[in-house]
Amino acid sequence: MSTDIARMRNIGISAHIDSGKTTLTERILFYCKKIHKIHEVKGKDGVGATMDSMDLERERGITIASATTNVDWADHSINIIDTPGHVDFTIEVERSLRVLDSAILVLCSVGGVQSQTITVDRQLRRYNVPFIAFVNKLDRVGANPFKVRDQIAEKLGRNAILMQLPIGLESAFQGVVDLVTMKALYFDGPEGETIRVEAIPDELAAEAARAREEMLDAVSMFSDELMAAILEGRPTEDLIRAAVRKGVIVRKLVPVFVGSAYRNKGIQPLLDAVVQYLPNPSEVENRAIDLDREGAERVLADGPEAKTVALAFKLEDGAYGQLTYIRIYQGSLRKGDELVNTRSGQKIKVGRLVRMHADTMAEIATAGSGDIVALFGVECASGDTFCSPGLNLAMTAIYVPEPVISLAIEPVDKNAADRMAKALNRFTKEDPTFRTHVDPESSQTIIQGMGELHLDVYVERMKREYRAEVKTGMPQVAYREAISRKVDFDYTHKKQTGGAGQYARVIGRLEPLPKGAYEFSNEVKGGRIPREFIPSCDKGFRAVMKKGPLIGFPVTGIRVVLLDGQYHPIDSSDIAFQMAAQGAFRQVYAKARPQVLEPIMKVSVEGPTEYAGNVFATISQRRGTIVSSVEDGIFSRVDAEVPLSEMFGYSTVLRSLTQGKAEFTMEFLKYGRVPPHVAELLTEQHLEKQRKESQR
Amino acid sequence: MTLTVKEELIKRSPLRVLEKSISGGLGKGNIGVLASRKGVGKTACLVHIAADKLLQERHVIHVSYASRVDHIITWYEDIFKEIAKRPKMRSALDQFDELIRNRVIMNFKQDGTRTEQVLRSLEAMIVHANFRAETVIVDGLDFAPAGPEDLAKFKEFAGRLGLEVWFSASLRGEEPLFDELGIPNELKTCLGVIDVLISLQHHGDHVHFNLVQDHGRLAPKDLRLKLDPTTLLIAKDVRAR
Repeated sequence: MSTDIARMRNIGISAHIDSGKTTLTERILFYCKKIHKIHEVKGKDGVGATMDSMDLERERGITIASATTNVDWADHSINIIDTPGHVDFTIEVERSLRVLDSAILVLCSVGGVQSQTITVDRQLRRYNVPFIAFVNKLDRVGANPFKVRDQIAEKLGRNAILMQLPIGLESAFQGVVDLVTMKALYFDGPEGETIRVEAIPDELAAEAARAREEMLDAVSMFSDELMAAILEGRPTEDLIRAAVRKGVIVRKLVPVFVGSAYRNKGIQPLLDAVVQYLPNPSEVENRAIDLDREGAERVLADGPEAKTVALAFKLEDGAYGQLTYIRIYQGSLRKGDELVNTRSGQKIKVGRLVRMHADTMAEIATAGSGDIVALFGVECASGDTFCSPGLNLAMTAIYVPEPVISLAIEPVDKNAADRMAKALNRFTKEDPTFRTHVDPESSQTIIQGMGELHLDVYVERMKREYRAEVKTGMPQVAYREAISRKVDFDYTHKKQTGGAGQYARVIGRLEPLPKGAYEFSNEVKGGRIPREFIPSCDKGFRAVMKKGPLIGFPVTGIRVVLLDGQYHPIDSSDIAFQMAAQGAFRQVYAKARPQVLEPIMKVSVEGPTEYAGNVFATISQRRGTIVSSVEDGIFSRVDAEVPLSEMFGYSTVLRSLTQGKAEFTMEFLKYGRVPPHVAELLTEQHLEKQRKESQR
Repeated sequence: MTLTVKEELIKRSPLRVLEKSISGGLGKGNIGVLASRKGVGKTACLVHIAADKLLQERHVIHVSYASRVDHIITWYEDIFKEIAKRPKMRSALDQFDELIRNRVIMNFKQDGTRTEQVLRSLEAMIVHANFRAETVIVDGLDFAPAGPEDLAKFKEFAGRLGLEVWFSASLRGEEPLFDELGIPNELKTCLGVIDVLISLQHHGDHVHFNLVQDHGRLAPKDLRLKLDPTTLLIAKDVRAR
């Protein structure tokens, strides 16, 4: 095991859902001798791929929670994070990307660049992650790595260069030509473990020469030395590799490798590429927020002698108790070290320190900067930063979107209730986009998240991992209310019921605040409202905005300007001013032209062109707006904006309309105004609900 | 009667000048073509024509043969921003979200997409998805392989669905591109199908618009319009000449 930072890689494997990345990861583990037998995703042997450690993932053939694992290849230590492919779990992908230094982008040689790939590419861009591309499934009918390379260039706008050529395609796929060494590589043995190096087959010689020239042309842009060597006609392998590496690290070059993980072909050269071309942790600049200096950014140092800075990026509850995955950004970590959680201020002592391999682990005594390890028995939330005492830094706050959908859940019995509470406690710590609360009116437990599937998975996990059987209600969209114009208020709250009365008067205005949730601005002069009651007004407005008068959803995007008021030396109180604020709000709200807002999703549907007309129709029936349709021969993609409330059950509809040949992805885009007829319906429903409640 | 800012903007648009010169507009069932060398600004003109329709709350389909659609989306955003820069037109930008819902971009691969397929998809959009387009703009169709037959199919389609269709045509041949009447040599075979033909030509540092054919009538005429080089909007050309 190497602890030399130059021999360390933290990589992610990012891809479209069906491109076969779990299969690829499985092969990587096998060739790195981490596992001794290859299991397939949804394997017949009932074991399933090693990285999919959750039962549910095994069953659905998808990866949900990313497990971290460590492998050794060519005397390098590689930490791999298997990232989920479904957009509903994007927070997991984003959190992984924060922690990684580089990635392998896996593409299917038949499907090529799909909308999910574009999403992943955008994420890689946002976190400045350099990557190499692997075009998988060359054994499939219709495989065309050249087309995929062109798509990476055109659709992703990346400088994609083939580093290998396939020898044969589809069922005739045999091996690859390495354009750096100009040798043909074949993968022999039952599991492709023996590499046979031969001369390039004659029929491929001309094509290989041409492809190499193209590759050298692109790569030489990154090295004058290589350019000179090419002019002299003697470019060395080392010079080429150094130039590729440089291009990758500055994110100006995407070398493309090819193979078939399922057929055990092309994996070892890909591992070589990880070591040769992807950066080590010291080659990536990391920044932290200095909490003592008003959030100024600060570049972290490398070297083991610096003070420790580490980020907890994932929590897991497993067979071995609670595990906290952390990435060390600065300094080192030793058993017995004392660290401070800079969010909570809590001190912790490093107990057991382990290196993870999906389901098994190895205990270690120390870990250095750049490494990814796991801690036992640490109380924290994911996203927390740990520092040596004396430092007060936070790794950049990971952007957490607001949940857009909620679901009422009810445990079937007392036992289930206890287990459910335990499960919810765990899930909310693990996943910041998953939230839960108890509705004070219905006393129901509400869970909130980023999509139908997102919540489905947690309900399933409750059953499987915690044996908490729950009944679920109908999914509910998180609507909002907002005002659309300025309105003045002047309201007096007066009550005389014998003894001390209540008196408070507030004057001011409400303004729409399009880019914000709530602002309170105190412009009262001359003590017309005593200073101690100003916060009471603020509190009153906040309280009344939690449930909007229109449909009972939170009111957002309001600026309250308090200008004037009146008080009574005896009858005014905290509660009187709170009541006055609430009364003022209710009185003028209707005049401010309130609107109902709903989450609008960005929806991408991909499938054969023959079904495009059907897809158009489904979007328009759902109050959607088609932004664009792109027809690329037999395949087409429709990008649209559709209200979330109309998307329930869409997958079933789409499947039956297209014989299962089309698929879609969806992610939250923005809040948009609900059309009047829908708003009316929601208002009626709200009134109906209120009537029923008051009758009870 | 006072006009709203938007109505004022529509009324004063240089595109009204264009419409006046072509007997009140292109009209349903008709084919209009903007012809020039590559890079003169045809796409900008088409987007301006589309934006003008959107401002009037009409539906537009933008057909393109480019490799990506994101830059087309940006183009529309920019043009609305540019329009909103005019005095009192800030509210136009607030309406952008609403107006842009009436535009669909349909992108096709240049090689191997047959006109029949393009028309099938357009029909699906207009009929199945109930997208009530009145104007279709077709940017980047290669006229060399397409020729009069494909244009005739578009015309038949436009007539059947009551659309007006604006095309851009890139002229590629050797100089001279135009004959003595100003007709692009490459488009001569298509003249019978084209209703309105306008050529864009550099004159010094400006791009000028010349009307070549107006609803089947050869009528060479300087339209007194130019392409503003900074905003890439069509503008009135007020210089004396």
